[in-house]
Amino acid sequence: MAEVVDIHEQHVENQHHLPSPDNGEGGEKSAMNMSYGKTMMWYFLLSDAFTFSAFLISYACIRLAQPWWPNPNSVFKSFPGLGDAYVPLGFVSVMTFILILSSVAVVRAVQEGHRMNKKGVMLWMIGGIVGGVMFLGCQAWEWNHLIHEGLRPFYNPFGPDANGLTHLVHEKMSVSPGPILFGALFFGITGFHGFHVFTGICINIWAFFATANGTFEKRGHYEMIEKVGLYWHFVDLVWVFVFLAFYLM
Amino acid sequence: MSGHMTDEQYKSAVKAVWSATIILSIVTVVEVVVALAVGHILPKIILNSFFVLASVAKAFFIVGEFMHLKYEKRAFMLTLGVPLAFLVWAIIALAVEGHYWNILNYPK
Repeated sequence: MAEVVDIHEQHVENQHHLPSPDNGEGGEKSAMNMSYGKTMMWYFLLSDAFTFSAFLISYACIRLAQPWWPNPNSVFKSFPGLGDAYVPLGFVSVMTFILILSSVAVVRAVQEGHRMNKKGVMLWMIGGIVGGVMFLGCQAWEWNHLIHEGLRPFYNPFGPDANGLTHLVHEKMSVSPGPILFGALFFGITGFHGFHVFTGICINIWAFFATANGTFEKRGHYEMIEKVGLYWHFVDLVWVFVFLAFYLM
Repeated sequence: MSGHMTDEQYKSAVKAVWSATIILSIVTVVEVVVALAVGHILPKIILNSFFVLASVAKAFFIVGEFMHLKYEKRAFMLTLGVPLAFLVWAIIALAVEGHYWNILNYPK
């Protein structure tokens, strides 16, 4: 047993005495001047960006192939507690604002981490988590509302009248159901984004407790908060394009 | 970036984040106002170009300021930006294709 430990220690010793390669890349430092973990988080997010791009480009392609598409101002017009009031894009603007503020809270947590301020990191991480939970709550309300109006993955009650204006099928006799893939695309893409929000919240909660336990303080740096933050900002970034594709255009 | 910051650096970093927040909020509000106020007046092509440009601007703020990419090495920015640039081709190709199916299936 003692011999095994010896060999191991010798091996570690040897590694320390390896000469740095003189290749103009700064020796043992990486060419990107970035840690392995952060680099890999960025490349994971790049691959995730391609997944979302594939979804959104498919959405654009399918939508352009239709002779008619529901007007977002007529579909997303409800606000919790206001009943039948016509508030186009009102609720989704609130959701967007919540997600931006949640993202900002996590940026502040990263900055407090640079100053090794444990209390500050914990405080701002709570802000980020609360914002994420509020966003998911809003999305749950919106899904529930649209399902009550009859929207399904393969049934779309938002159809055109004779003038091409958007109406609910069961509210006007002359209206026929709209393009069926509207529901599948809406639930699929906002659902995939919502799932990212959910995993982001879980990771943020973990990071909060790891901070509270002093894990990063003992480690001497808060880089983990930066990596967690990158994922969280990516969720905000994707929402910009989901918002563009479904609500604005 | 896990070094120690001076108070000066910290203050300017916090300030940069809050101004990015205000810009993001303003751009979003302008988008919604444009969609509601002139959405049915302006031609679709102008309206959608504006929305796309505003969204790309927001994306640059989030990636540059919040995700701190603006302050990383240029070489690293390129390893992310160059693969993403190919998406421009994918968007144009599939938009043209979708529009073609539309003409094919629903002749005016």
